[in-house]
Amino acid sequence: MTSVTVIDLLKKNQILELLEEGKRVDGRAFDEPREIKIEINAIPKANGSARVFLGDTDVLCGVKIQPDRPFPDMGDKGIFMCTAELLPFSHPTVETGPPRDDVIELARVVDRGIRESHMVDVSQLVIEKDKSVVGVFADIVVIDYDGNLFDACSYSATAALLASKTPKWTMVDDTVTLVEGEESQLPTTTIPVSVTMGKIGNHIIVDPNGDEWASMDARVTITSDSDGNICALQKGGSDGFTLEEMHQCGDIAVRVGAKIREIIKESQKGSQ
Amino acid sequence: MDNKRKYVIPGDVITTGPFRPEQNVILEGDKIISTTIGISEIYDDSVRVLTLTGKYIPKIDDLVIGKINSHTSLSWELDINSCYVGFLPAQDVFGRDFSAHADELSSKLKTGDLVAARIANFDRTRDPLVTISDRDLGKIDSGVLVKISPSKVPRLIGKKGSMIQMIEMATDAAVTIGQNGWVVISCESPEGLLKAKKAIEMVNEKAHVANLTDQIKDMLQIKDNES
Repeated sequence: MTSVTVIDLLKKNQILELLEEGKRVDGRAFDEPREIKIEINAIPKANGSARVFLGDTDVLCGVKIQPDRPFPDMGDKGIFMCTAELLPFSHPTVETGPPRDDVIELARVVDRGIRESHMVDVSQLVIEKDKSVVGVFADIVVIDYDGNLFDACSYSATAALLASKTPKWTMVDDTVTLVEGEESQLPTTTIPVSVTMGKIGNHIIVDPNGDEWASMDARVTITSDSDGNICALQKGGSDGFTLEEMHQCGDIAVRVGAKIREIIKESQKGSQ
Repeated sequence: MDNKRKYVIPGDVITTGPFRPEQNVILEGDKIISTTIGISEIYDDSVRVLTLTGKYIPKIDDLVIGKINSHTSLSWELDINSCYVGFLPAQDVFGRDFSAHADELSSKLKTGDLVAARIANFDRTRDPLVTISDRDLGKIDSGVLVKISPSKVPRLIGKKGSMIQMIEMATDAAVTIGQNGWVVISCESPEGLLKAKKAIEMVNEKAHVANLTDQIKDMLQIKDNES
């Protein structure tokens, strides 16, 4: 977004006062994410796609799988890449043009969560070593913004990758040739789930909504994999977290993440 | 009365004859033509169209609620829910002996503060000049901000303030209505506040309904009996 959303101070005070009483503006518990709805294969022509509604936040991810040249130092591995973009319609402060810092951060945090959990098994995505590999590109667009894009985008990318089918290619006379009619599930090893926590005053809240997002002092996004190991972390905002708070955040991320992982798994049923 | 009100779109001829054109209409020859989507109204000798949609267009002497978005060393910039940015000069708050070196603007109004302001000057070529140096104007310290469509504001006020008086009486809330569609409700009791908020949101949703006053009355009344 271009300009930072300015929240009116009356609202900010109200949010803080409620937190002091142990309540949140929308009535959730501190460690309760908003309702998550996942629509698999929302884009029929993509190799895989998912639209995720996290409360009023609405994001769509499409996955494109195609042959590509490998990176020079990683000839025995396929390519995974994740991008994110905000539609100008998603929020009044969003403008067209090159992505701003916060959007770049968004794409990188989502990418890192999936990459560092080794969700996509890139070693299986080689057509011919050092010559041709399969590239997996997850492109996310934000349709509606109401806070916490990190998690919404992360869930949509994860769900889209799980639902992705990859075509088969072989080398024939040094050219990559598509094998017609052969499709397989994209090789995945784990389901990474990111949980973003905001800090307002001394309170830590999971999945801040738009108003909470605009009034928080610091945030941390922690991604854990299916075994409950933390594999990526991003801290933002001007305030800090104490060591104790970080431990607390880690516990919350793994605990809440496990529940969300079930929702993502559930969404895959019927799509296979 | 009823046959005088009708829905119009831009270009619709509302009437012909010796009428005075008011808001959102133009006079061409002897025809009075709408310039917007809305409901046309013909009063004794004047014709106007109440718009159904649209952003707030500032008008001199309008009371608006603004949010401080940023400031320079000489003035504040206000979000007034318009395509224009409200411009509040520092002299207006600090007085004539304001000095850009000595006075820090954020000591009086911070980013995010809400203010009740009046449009002091506006001519569409420059951003509207607003003032807060008057009775009942200035920083708003308490209450809840509700945003409604600026075109529904006349409906919320009602004829001679009937609608808003009714809501205020029934809920014991004090409601400040900005012509720009931002409304601040302050009330001692949380129940009254919620009720007033609900009533205002209902006006916003059902502004086009004919017997809205009765519906609001019912809503407030029913709630009264329940509690």
